[in-house]
Amino acid sequence: MDKLETMWDVCLRKNIKRRSFLKSCAALTSIMGLNMDMLSKVVAAAEKNPLPVVIWLHGHECTGCDESFLRSATPLTSDLVLNSIALEYSHALSAAAGEPFEEHLHQTMQQYAGKYILAVEGAVATAENGIYCMTGGKPFVSVLKEVAKNAAVIIEYGACATSGGIQAAKPNPTGSVSVREIVGNSKPIVKVPGCPPIPEVMTGVVMHYALFGKLPPLDNEGRPKQFYGNRIHDTCYRRPFFDTGMFAENFDDAGSKAGWCLYKLGCRGPVTYNSCGNLRWWNGLSYPIQSGHGCIGCSNDHFWDEDPFYKRLPEYGPILGDVDKIGAAAVGLTTAGVALHGAMSVVQKKKRQAAEEKSDGKKVE
Amino acid sequence: MIMHEEPRKVYYLFSPFLRIFHWTMVICISFLFTTGLLITKPASGGVSMEPTFGNILLSLDLIRNIHFIAAFIFVAAFILRIYGFVINKGDRLFPRVWKAEFWQSMIEVSMHYMLLKPSHRPYLRNPLARMSYVGLYSMVFIEIFTGFAMYLMVNPNGFGAKFFGWTIGIFGSEFMIHLIHHYIAWAIMLFVIGHVYMAIRADFMEREGEISSMFSGVKILEHEPVDVGEIMDKESSDTFSDRKPLHAGQQETKM
Repeated sequence: MDKLETMWDVCLRKNIKRRSFLKSCAALTSIMGLNMDMLSKVVAAAEKNPLPVVIWLHGHECTGCDESFLRSATPLTSDLVLNSIALEYSHALSAAAGEPFEEHLHQTMQQYAGKYILAVEGAVATAENGIYCMTGGKPFVSVLKEVAKNAAVIIEYGACATSGGIQAAKPNPTGSVSVREIVGNSKPIVKVPGCPPIPEVMTGVVMHYALFGKLPPLDNEGRPKQFYGNRIHDTCYRRPFFDTGMFAENFDDAGSKAGWCLYKLGCRGPVTYNSCGNLRWWNGLSYPIQSGHGCIGCSNDHFWDEDPFYKRLPEYGPILGDVDKIGAAAVGLTTAGVALHGAMSVVQKKKRQAAEEKSDGKKVE
Repeated sequence: MIMHEEPRKVYYLFSPFLRIFHWTMVICISFLFTTGLLITKPASGGVSMEPTFGNILLSLDLIRNIHFIAAFIFVAAFILRIYGFVINKGDRLFPRVWKAEFWQSMIEVSMHYMLLKPSHRPYLRNPLARMSYVGLYSMVFIEIFTGFAMYLMVNPNGFGAKFFGWTIGIFGSEFMIHLIHHYIAWAIMLFVIGHVYMAIRADFMEREGEISSMFSGVKILEHEPVDVGEIMDKESSDTFSDRKPLHAGQQETKM
């Protein structure tokens, strides 16, 4: 493993036709959200650039992101893992285990120091020195620090890695935090939020780096623009129902059955940025809203603390309750107070005038 | 009650720009508030509704557009406020918080409103009211910034989102922005009640043309107001009536 193969080398070795290789490149170009003008660059990169070494760490999580990743259709996960990247270490996808596996991790880190991509799924448990999440007999937090030190770039996959995940929900007993909070800003970090992220988004991000050797353009939160540049609400196929004012009021009513807007059932589409509306899931099969369930905003930081998911803006205020009821009550109280004050002011004025008349009378005398 | 025949003086305070801005604000806030409530809790035609025969009044698209148009007009109207501020001293309502005198008058007026003093000294522009406008403008600016942050995040990579998007960072999430926008809207309503009441009350208690001043721009005072120096130079105020009786100065009338 001294010299890494390129994608084209892999194709040659496996007797894959040039035509198939070019088709894969075209598919990759579109899935990375690039203009088709870029195809020639993608082909050139796939011919020349060696496959990137990827170390895939799993922290405090459910491996649901892996489940999602495995279902990537374009590119196929198998293509990606076997032909497009050199995945050297991954808990969930490796046959090897135990000491030899850990040994391999250290070899990879030494051999490709400063060159490998570190993909992290899962939060970092920090409470009690990180004992809530152990891997290979060590707290995950120390493993992460060690591997991150020589990484070229870090990809945070999933809500756990980007903002702590469900286990970071209040009161966060395990002290779970995002990868960025441990690693800091010393390394370039891509946030790929979602619970889980869309599989094509996961593969698209790593392929972008694999082919061009640099991160995709990021927004101000550090997310790849091409995948997180749209609100769910603005790309939703149910948007016309919202605009017309046709809402499902209950999950068992005719509106829900007819596929009307789920705004009143707590859909987080208006505050969520993701590609569900355009890419959809499982090769464009469906996505939560299409299946009749409102968006829960799983690509938002701390979405788990913005529950319950079936209430619109959790009934208009997390602590105090319905802001409209509070507002109306406050308006009522203020009006009453003002009326009382007005009445007292009248009395005061009467008194003042009486006193003035008295003194005026005295002056005349 | 003895009817006094006292000379009263007319003071020109508010430029037409401020007055137009004020009433634009009134109209815009009314629209913004009602449509805002409907956006949070949309009315619904019920399940028997058909898209083709949808009621235009239930159209959230229309309601949102009214909200946005009102918001844009409101923000644009600030140009009038700023112009008035530049050309007319009476429009410069920001309280002189750097002066001890201001705080003394604040206390005095507050004592009166707490019904602890029978009356307060005459002011052209009530110090407590001016303080409340600082509150109003702060709330309005929060609404503008949170509102545009939500509105412009349609394109998170555009210039508008860069200009206003940081508001979301301050309050944590876009989810919170929606709530804060809503809470502040209600707070503005509380201000409106207090403001309308205080204006009516001042008219009733002091008879200085408080309410009509927002139409005519002038107030009519019996006594020399404490803060007269703020709208005109002390020197010229004494001689103003001789030179220009109808403008910016004082005009003697019999009431």
